[in-house]
Amino acid sequence: MISQGNAIQTRRLAKSLGGRTVLREIDLEIAAAECVALLGGNGAGKTTLLRCLAAIARPTSGEVFWFGQPAAAKSNQRSLVGMVTHESRLYAHLTLRENLVFAARMCAVTAPRQRTNTLLEQTGLQALADRQVRQISRGMRQRLALARSLIHDPPILLLDEPFSGLDTKSRDWLVRLLRVQQASGRALCFATHQQELVRQLADRTLTLRNGSLTDHKAMTKGRAKENVWQDAA
Amino acid sequence: MVSKLWWLIHKDLVVEYRTRQAWPAMLLLGIIVAVVFSLQMQLPLQQRTAAAGGLLWLAILFAGLVAIDRTSAAEQHDGCWDGLTLYPLPPSIIYLAKLAVNFVALLVLGCVLVPLFVVLADVPLLRHAWAMTIVAVLGSAGLAAVGTLVSALTHGLGQRNAVLSLLVLPLVLPVVLAGAEATRLIAEDNLGDEWSRWVQFLGAFAIVFTTLGIVLFGFLVEE
Repeated sequence: MISQGNAIQTRRLAKSLGGRTVLREIDLEIAAAECVALLGGNGAGKTTLLRCLAAIARPTSGEVFWFGQPAAAKSNQRSLVGMVTHESRLYAHLTLRENLVFAARMCAVTAPRQRTNTLLEQTGLQALADRQVRQISRGMRQRLALARSLIHDPPILLLDEPFSGLDTKSRDWLVRLLRVQQASGRALCFATHQQELVRQLADRTLTLRNGSLTDHKAMTKGRAKENVWQDAA
Repeated sequence: MVSKLWWLIHKDLVVEYRTRQAWPAMLLLGIIVAVVFSLQMQLPLQQRTAAAGGLLWLAILFAGLVAIDRTSAAEQHDGCWDGLTLYPLPPSIIYLAKLAVNFVALLVLGCVLVPLFVVLADVPLLRHAWAMTIVAVLGSAGLAAVGTLVSALTHGLGQRNAVLSLLVLPLVLPVVLAGAEATRLIAEDNLGDEWSRWVQFLGAFAIVFTTLGIVLFGFLVEE
């Protein structure tokens, strides 16, 4: 049963890459304003699952739905999703401002420069706005990538290892920002290996092992069940 | 959509202006090939005129491949290609933007190489400048349409440069041949029916491959 109430829903989602089955018969639901942590060891299929959820990768079989509609059936539906990955997807020779304005124009945001300035301010990048991306640190790039994924105010935000390579200060900043995003009604799904961040952010965890969802757990923020990381290992 | 197309083209041109990764190499290679071809042609005027068209289009093809390869290779850096596919735009718009940038690069190359051949090989290619412009525009459009499409096909492959050349060269043979013949006829001051047929062929080729690109690009850039 496909529910319009779910921000994301998959039905028997499977994906093979180069003859290897990466995802097997995945059925999952993520509600609006819910924050779900995707756990699993290296090679478990987290990135592939996020790519399928974002409709960048086409499932071998099964379907992905965004708010009850087949994902990316029309190109303008893509504005429902924002995504951050460990690759920044930014143009190194454009300035921070130019990257955001470009993204805003691609997403048909009504006032691209105004929206860009708002996000630069929210992400603390205003002072670096006119530097080229290649001239800033990885942490700052991660902030910019997040700003870019929010440029069109998408109701679904997918994040693949968003905390990797960040120092403690940047990580705390990102946790706060993601909490704000969730409070504003966005559905969040993030893949991570960092237990503490799962405790701080997630309403629920999904664990992938060899391409199958093996575990669903509800979380009490700040007091994670102790076996979550044993399951993910 | 037109505005998105323009901003995609604008982004590629700004990035190229700042990195200077493709155009300087393309122009340098084109100039070297043109100089070598021209200086090696110690032939009477009639034979020089007959050969110049083919040599000009070979120079445009070899040097143009450098720019065509860079256009999509630039998107491979740091996952930018995935970033583009996440935007709410039809894949055909991305194809048309890349095609436009490649087309502009080839036109610039033509603007440098045609006068160079006129000077170095002493061949009257600009006897009918308007006719040469038509041939250059249609030939460049055909090369850009095929190159952009194949470039998308080889996206994500290792050794993509070698694969791109292997696939593009046989596909663009008709354009090089038609461009060479039309250019020869201009140099021979023969703008009759034969020239018109070659020009029509160049136009049809560009339209067919641009249409194919618009239809197929979305399928080709999927993983």
